[in-house]
Amino acid sequence: MARVPIEEGFFRIPDDPAAQPRLLGSRCPACGEVFFPRRLVCAKCLHEGTEDTELSTSGTIYTWTYCHVPMFGKKDADVSGYGVAQIDLPEGPRVQSILSGARDDFAIGMQVEIDLETLRHDADGNEVVIYRFRPAGDAAHGAGAGS
Amino acid sequence: MTRGLRFDGVAVAGIGMVRFGMLQETPIAHLARDAGLLALHDAGMTLADIDEAFVGYIQPGSMLGIKAMKEFGLTGLPVTHIENASATGLVAFRDAAWAVSSGRADVAMALGFDKFTDMTRGGGRGAGRDQIDAPILPAAYFALWAQRRMHERGTTAEQFATIAAKNWNYGATCPTAHRRSDHVVTAEEVLAARMVAEPLTTMMCCPPDDGAACVILAREDLVRERQPGRPLVRALASALTSETYTPGHTFVGPVVGPSAMTRATAEQCYEAAGLGPEDVSVAYCHDAFVNEELEYYELLGFCAEGEGEKLVAEGATGPGGSIPFNTDGGLLARGHPGGPTGLAMIHEAVLQLRGEAEGRQVENARVALAHLVGGGSVATVNLLGNEGRAP
Ligand SMILES: [Zn+2]
Repeated sequence: MARVPIEEGFFRIPDDPAAQPRLLGSRCPACGEVFFPRRLVCAKCLHEGTEDTELSTSGTIYTWTYCHVPMFGKKDADVSGYGVAQIDLPEGPRVQSILSGARDDFAIGMQVEIDLETLRHDADGNEVVIYRFRPAGDAAHGAGAGS
Repeated sequence: MTRGLRFDGVAVAGIGMVRFGMLQETPIAHLARDAGLLALHDAGMTLADIDEAFVGYIQPGSMLGIKAMKEFGLTGLPVTHIENASATGLVAFRDAAWAVSSGRADVAMALGFDKFTDMTRGGGRGAGRDQIDAPILPAAYFALWAQRRMHERGTTAEQFATIAAKNWNYGATCPTAHRRSDHVVTAEEVLAARMVAEPLTTMMCCPPDDGAACVILAREDLVRERQPGRPLVRALASALTSETYTPGHTFVGPVVGPSAMTRATAEQCYEAAGLGPEDVSVAYCHDAFVNEELEYYELLGFCAEGEGEKLVAEGATGPGGSIPFNTDGGLLARGHPGGPTGLAMIHEAVLQLRGEAEGRQVENARVALAHLVGGGSVATVNLLGNEGRAP
């Protein structure tokens, strides 16, 4: 069964199910600023023509919250809540993402790493996925956000 | 370099709005009609007097503004649609004021309407939205900003709840507010409500709303002629900006976190008006999520950075305070349908400046400020004044 992104162009899904997804960014060859998601014109110096780059798989929580409602667009209703964070990546971009883990698993300044969340299955039986972040080095939270 | 607009000889001729709420039974054009007719009656005018109209809504569908305007008659006037997310109504106000100030119109109408119940009909929450930011609850973006402030400044959930209780209690005094509590709301009650996104409970988030509001602006001499006995309220100045890039900018989903946008917009508006925050008697801001109001105390210049909590402790932004905020209950209690939200702010500001805000009147109100952000990506600040403070 294939995995497909909720929307094209934001992250790359590896063929190996054990490998981490990669966020797709852009780097400005003129000033070095890095962006997520990809863009043609540098937002800092307005240089036209950025270079594609894949971003780091881990970052630092800048701020986070926990939503006490089922996740939008997620089919199985067994999850009652989920975390959301802004994560600073080493290259510079600040990414907003859902979190995998329980209410008490997170803190500002903590290291998190990327994996994938399955939202639902589409008409062809593909898994519709989105990136999420979980506490770094914590492989226990594979099942789903808030589990 | 963007700068604020200063309006010359522009006064408010009429205001009207329907009470916001879940108004499923009323067609959207009828909401618009009822608000518009109230404003025309208030102005002593008919559509024949209106030279130009600016109509705002955020729900899907083209030409809804033209359709709504036909409810008042068909006179051939130019009608322009405006959409800037939550800021839509204030931008319609700004463009109507500028149309009069520039001399291209003697009288201009700003009309806003929206029906949340139409937008959600038949669709589940977030269902079918194949977009990267679809899974994240809108309240979460604002909760992220609140959590960061709590981390940096030691702000407590109680302080946010105190602001929410203040706005709920203001709402109870305003006949056009959606949420009119039958008892005095306390911070404890706000904190005990169902948690949405920490630290925001349902009572710290604005309700879903339907509604419409209208403001008619005209040359000052025309307003004096039509309404000779009434205190004159002028549109003084407006500023509108979009984001500037700074490192750490988030491009997916609304922008949250300390943003220079509201501060820069307020500075442009104050400069255009030749006024400062010390001249403002009453203020309206985007309090869809109540932690925002605390941030805007600082960003609009009413206190130094990090001192917003002091204003809360002093009750400075409530009844009898030095700078009352959101005297009609704000987005939190008066309601926030979208397109008409900013025009409802102007409605309340004009009542205050006319001295007609019964039960919640700010004493000696001279200058009112109205601020909204839209989609986290635009900000607008607008100033109005009565003859106690001539420009
Ligand atoms: Zn650049």
